[in-house]
Amino acid sequence: MRASLTSFVAVTGLLLLSTGCVHVYQPVSGLNAPVVVDPGARNFPDLKLEVVCNQGELLNRQEATVLCQNAGTLFRNQGAQVTTRLGTGRSYTGAQAEEEDERPIDLTLELTSREVHTFNDPLMWTLCVLSVSVVPALSETSFELDVVIRDGSGFLLATDSLEGRIIKRVGIGVWALEKALDLTREDDEKIAKDAAEQDLSADLYGQLSQMVFNAQMQWEVLQQVPPPER
Amino acid sequence: MGLYLALWTIWFQITAGGDPALGPNKSRSGARNMECERVPVPVALARYPGVVRPPDPRGDLVEREVLICTEKLMDQELRSPSDEAILSNLDETAQEIAGLATASRPELKAATWLVESHTANPEVSAKLSFAAKNAMVSQGLRVSDRTPILGFDDINVITRLPPMEAWPVACRRYKDTGGMGDGDALLATVVLNPKETILHTGVCAQGVWTWLR
Repeated sequence: MRASLTSFVAVTGLLLLSTGCVHVYQPVSGLNAPVVVDPGARNFPDLKLEVVCNQGELLNRQEATVLCQNAGTLFRNQGAQVTTRLGTGRSYTGAQAEEEDERPIDLTLELTSREVHTFNDPLMWTLCVLSVSVVPALSETSFELDVVIRDGSGFLLATDSLEGRIIKRVGIGVWALEKALDLTREDDEKIAKDAAEQDLSADLYGQLSQMVFNAQMQWEVLQQVPPPER
Repeated sequence: MGLYLALWTIWFQITAGGDPALGPNKSRSGARNMECERVPVPVALARYPGVVRPPDPRGDLVEREVLICTEKLMDQELRSPSDEAILSNLDETAQEIAGLATASRPELKAATWLVESHTANPEVSAKLSFAAKNAMVSQGLRVSDRTPILGFDDINVITRLPPMEAWPVACRRYKDTGGMGDGDALLATVVLNPKETILHTGVCAQGVWTWLR
């Protein structure tokens, strides 16, 4: 009887933990900077762009590959000719593209992410699980994405760090309260199931598009600068 | 139920109440309209004594950092993104432009500097010019409020050229028509494409245009 009650509580707890979870994203710095370019428009016709994604403590090889693919798709949709590669591995599309097309790369976008802060109290999570999520728990991860843009010769055109936080709040009360508040919120203010991911993607892709556009303009201007006299 | 409510209230007060992120007490637009920076606890203690809990003498159980967030002076929706990009760090940009002018063209230190700014919004251009002039004066440069003028025919031709080509032509015409004297130098800060959020700067002296950035 006691064993079945324990397993019932455990299963119920896990179910509630999986459903009563609210993910929230907050841009800390850089990610909410003004964006003028429309990432859905053809902003980079004729631009040959290489996207390099470095794996590290936040993104493993597979995740870095996904980031590169997504960034590649983002710029391809905007008209750029894109090659992608992992920073620590051999180029998996770049080498082939270079053999087929002799035109040198115009710009290189390098992305490196790292975890800058994490909060995860084991005591809080233990209480949360034992109480079947009646006692809420919270975890937080802050990340930073370093963006470096160079021209084909390696000249540094732009660099910036984009920082954001992902907060996970778990608890039946938290979930119920957010659902209740969603009834009173306007559509663009609701905390939907995938809101954090969607908001982060929109911010990240907007910033990357803007930064590459700015770098492209900077690159065009610098090509007008005469070389220094010797 | 009573226990749950009590626990909920305590937890909410401790965590979500002070959190700048989207939550029960913060709207999505409110959470986005923040400028945040992450600082170590000693730095936060020095800036906000009494607000930040000092480290325990025996050390904290968990590694702590302090996220300091301040609400932006202007709501994001009030200004266009291109204006916001320039005005949100106007002082920094002006100092940078002035520093660039003096560092890259030291031979023009004795020149009388004229300053022009061209962005999509004339009001923003005026603010940018004013800030750049102030920054240049603070660096010991001689700055004039005069604006070089071109004739109608010149303007008619120059405005049809792409901005990258228009400035060198305008610069040459400023010298040829006497709009700028030998002792004058023009610092122009421009937005070349309405989609960009950065400013480009060039200098015109002796009829020769040079892009600085």
